[in-house]
Amino acid sequence: MTSLALKSLWARKVRALTTIFAVVIGVAFVSGSYILTDTIFAAFDEIFSESLSGTSVVITAENPVEQDNGEIPTVSASLLPRIQQTPGVKVAAGAIFTPGGFFDAKGEKIGSKFSPKFISSTLPGSLESLTYVKGHRPRGPTEASIDEAAAESSDLKLGETIELVGQGRVRGFKLIGFTHLGSASFGGASIAQVTLPVAQALTHKLGRFDQISVAAADGVAPETLKRRIDRQMPAGVRVETAQENADRGSEEIRDNLSFLQTFLLVFGFIAVFVGSFLIFNTFSITVAQRISEFGMLRTLGSSRRQILTSVLVEALAIGLIGALVGIAGGFLIALLLNGLFEAIGIDLPTTSLVLESRTVIVALLVGLVVTLVSSTVPALRSTRVPPIAALHAFQPPPSRRRRLVYAVLSVLLGLAGLAMVLAGLFGSGDAGARAGLMGGGAVIVVIAVSLFSPRLVPPLAAVAGWPLERVRRLIGRLARENAQRNPSRTAVTAAALMIGVALVTFVAVFAAGLKGTVAQVIDENFAGGLVIQNSDGFSPIPNGTAAAASKVPGVEQVATIRSAQAKLLEGGRPGAGARVSAPTSNVEETVKIEWKQGGPAALRGLTDRQAILSDSFASDHGLQLGDRFRLLTQTRSRPTYEVVGEFDAKLGVFGSVLVTQASLAREFRQTQDTIDFVKTAPGADAAQVQALLTKGVELAFPTAEVLNQAELKESREEQINQLVNLIFALLGLAVLVSVFGIANTLALSIHERTRELGMLRAIGMSRRQVRTMIRYEAVITALIGAILGMVLGVIFAALIAQPLKDEGFTLSYPIGELIAVLVVAALAGVVAAIPPARRASRLNTLEALQYE
Amino acid sequence: MNSNGQVVVATDLSRRYGEGDAAVDALAGVSTGFDRGQFTAIMGPSGSGKSTLMHILAGLDKPTGGTVELDGVEITGLDDGELTKLRRDKLGFVFQFFNLLPVLTAEENMLLPLSIAGRKPDQEWLERLIRTVGLEDRRTHRPAELSGGQQQRVAVARALLSKPAVVFADEPTGNLDSKSSAEVLTLLRQAVDEFGQTVIMVTHDPAAAAHADRLITLRDGKLVQDGRPGSAADVIELMKQLD
Repeated sequence: MTSLALKSLWARKVRALTTIFAVVIGVAFVSGSYILTDTIFAAFDEIFSESLSGTSVVITAENPVEQDNGEIPTVSASLLPRIQQTPGVKVAAGAIFTPGGFFDAKGEKIGSKFSPKFISSTLPGSLESLTYVKGHRPRGPTEASIDEAAAESSDLKLGETIELVGQGRVRGFKLIGFTHLGSASFGGASIAQVTLPVAQALTHKLGRFDQISVAAADGVAPETLKRRIDRQMPAGVRVETAQENADRGSEEIRDNLSFLQTFLLVFGFIAVFVGSFLIFNTFSITVAQRISEFGMLRTLGSSRRQILTSVLVEALAIGLIGALVGIAGGFLIALLLNGLFEAIGIDLPTTSLVLESRTVIVALLVGLVVTLVSSTVPALRSTRVPPIAALHAFQPPPSRRRRLVYAVLSVLLGLAGLAMVLAGLFGSGDAGARAGLMGGGAVIVVIAVSLFSPRLVPPLAAVAGWPLERVRRLIGRLARENAQRNPSRTAVTAAALMIGVALVTFVAVFAAGLKGTVAQVIDENFAGGLVIQNSDGFSPIPNGTAAAASKVPGVEQVATIRSAQAKLLEGGRPGAGARVSAPTSNVEETVKIEWKQGGPAALRGLTDRQAILSDSFASDHGLQLGDRFRLLTQTRSRPTYEVVGEFDAKLGVFGSVLVTQASLAREFRQTQDTIDFVKTAPGADAAQVQALLTKGVELAFPTAEVLNQAELKESREEQINQLVNLIFALLGLAVLVSVFGIANTLALSIHERTRELGMLRAIGMSRRQVRTMIRYEAVITALIGAILGMVLGVIFAALIAQPLKDEGFTLSYPIGELIAVLVVAALAGVVAAIPPARRASRLNTLEALQYE
Repeated sequence: MNSNGQVVVATDLSRRYGEGDAAVDALAGVSTGFDRGQFTAIMGPSGSGKSTLMHILAGLDKPTGGTVELDGVEITGLDDGELTKLRRDKLGFVFQFFNLLPVLTAEENMLLPLSIAGRKPDQEWLERLIRTVGLEDRRTHRPAELSGGQQQRVAVARALLSKPAVVFADEPTGNLDSKSSAEVLTLLRQAVDEFGQTVIMVTHDPAAAAHADRLITLRDGKLVQDGRPGSAADVIELMKQLD
């Protein structure tokens, strides 16, 4: 029976190809996600080990609270002499490696928008990890080098001027060398190197180092040296061997980028899920078409089990082939994904592609399990074929009772899925578990809808077909009738597209709501003001920006907000994260705060031991006016604050805890502004003030940009759009699978209707009419999927938006975009119809008429 | 129109399938003509070439040699588009199986060729045909709700509706019981007698052939007999002689 199964697969290999293709795309996406992230990890490992190749021991500050911008705390320069005097130390030096901004002589940004840029200091002797491919190391206060890749991309030449900005005013340097680090690309990151004192000055880290690097004398083991140094270091300082430091770096990168892996895998599994519909449909149709073959086998004495085995063996063969090809395709997908990230300005470091054995195992499992699961129901159906079916293709239509059972089952299933989504949405507990619950619920709802949708196909086909019937009466009518002929087949085909459309709709509606809400918040709260922010939209702006801005004529006041991440100490242990913001006391001049407790006086009179909380943070942690709480800061400080007010959390600019800027400087060592608000003097021309500000501020602090209200909205919208477009691109593959599904179902249906097509041609239907009829059928199927998907997507978006209402989130429906989605779905149908329509129109009329 | 009034004229038709040693001559030089308003039956044993002849006459297949003139048009050289137009304008078909679209009603099926061609039906003619085929009370039924004989009568009405130059019927009774067969054949006979329709029918059923005005018989791709069919018994006798 096994060899029969494989032979019958071989005999129908062209049809098997589409099924295999569905497996390939899903598996390729999953394995490509792994390959890309493994490659990124490997590249980072390489960077870490390369950069520490001549180093034995590394001394850094402990980092108890991760910061949003990845900044790490510094160590005091006073530790260095003690380390240098430790026996066994050959050489020890402090180093700076801090994010900054680079500009060429024309003031143009060097490197892509989101790629990280670091200002680093030179290191003596073997500690230096950068090699010079051209020129020499910076020797004086006016010299700087830059990495080869950045120099190439911005076409820089030795002797030119480049500008570097850290935490203060921009400074010009003479470019005297090009550097290179190991073999891995540095992920589009750029490194500018200057002497240590210059680096400290640029980054406002006088008397401090980001790390101290130590090379051991000959014959001294790094472990031994580490212990000797560790004994002399104060608390809060971490001493590691170079190996340990590199390992920790790798691990942190894996932790930080695991979201990327999860994010990509989610889309991979969406493609797999969509593919399972295609596989299910293909097997259902082929089993139905082979009824007389199975009947014949039964009359020859095959048992039900043997029939079942033969279908399942066929499925396993398809799964295996698809998985193997999918792993190979994973390499291609990895490159595509990397290209996609590069296209939107995110350069990830890569080295030669990495295939871990885990990737192969997961890919094989995904391929086999998805085909086996999707083919089980059709395979079971094949066992119910009675021997009599050999005589006439006898296909008992599903009885009324069974159809009713399906309907009831699908409604119950849908309710269960919905309950899971709601439990995840409104329940408490771990965010990951809740996301899993919501995702699982959504999958069940989709399955329920596709089970129920055979009942929806006739009315939806009538709706989708209506315009086509208006255009081409008969052809449109026939296309619609054909789509309705086998409702469950059309339903499953449409359901595959439904998934993609539901997700696209969900994202589009949600993003529109987000953009609308952001715009509304900006309109309501920053009326008329100007805003200074980092041009990348999230990094802090250099010190001195606000001071420079307040000197510009026409500026009445500048209010600044600084922020840092902290952890709430619960029973003395670090617990929930808290975003701490420190506004200047005049912030209410430019930003409206909705007070729940306390009021403007509380903010104006805020002392360094007091804090104002967002209402949601206060209620989450049971804090009331007059209560005291402690935070753990990045510098291991544990300040206590008294609650003196509460504000409505709706406003996005503040975190959950407001403290004074003096407190933030002392306890968090954070002195950079996150955002500055500028209030123009009464009677001043806003546009003119903005022009002056732009000139005065952006020249001295080129990473800062001055935005008016409309531009601020635009900049926020742009950030949202970028993410939305990335998601759309990733969903594209799932939609592609569903397009193949439509093409496949059509091809199989046409195969069944061969003789009918022959008759139509014989009585005068032209080739073009045949093509149009099939194209319309595909468009109707696609539109059924799109309509169902759109309804699901809107419902999900409305559900998810519900708990966010308290935070001021209002949903809005991007009608134009949704219409565009329908049009694209219809076009997808047109594309899907190309191969089957071609085949149908080319059918030899005579052969078609005689087709059995 | 042909000089002697014949609506279909086949001249020296041959049709070869395959190449070399495996080549089979389905038709080996057949020449004949079909008079307007005549009911012709084509018979012959399996592999005699009777179906091939009909297919070539109807433009569904192309001969390897010879020509076919249909209602004054030389059809052997036409391309697909011209053949499609020819089928719309001049031909009607009745097949053995799958004659009707299951998704359309009986009346819609009758109107199908006209709808495909984008033409308006002659309403009076349609009503008359529906009465003639006796399906006044079945016009909104779908094929699945009709008996085999009723379905085939719909197919006949469909073939007649455009008043084609020729109706080709390929084993129209092959799938029917004897009572339904008789109804369909009577109907074709009626079309010839009352409406002056030309009908060419391929059949292996002597009873069917007996309804025709003329019987031609093929064997091994050659025309071996041409005459009046007489009764069903005569036809059976004739077939025996030819064997």
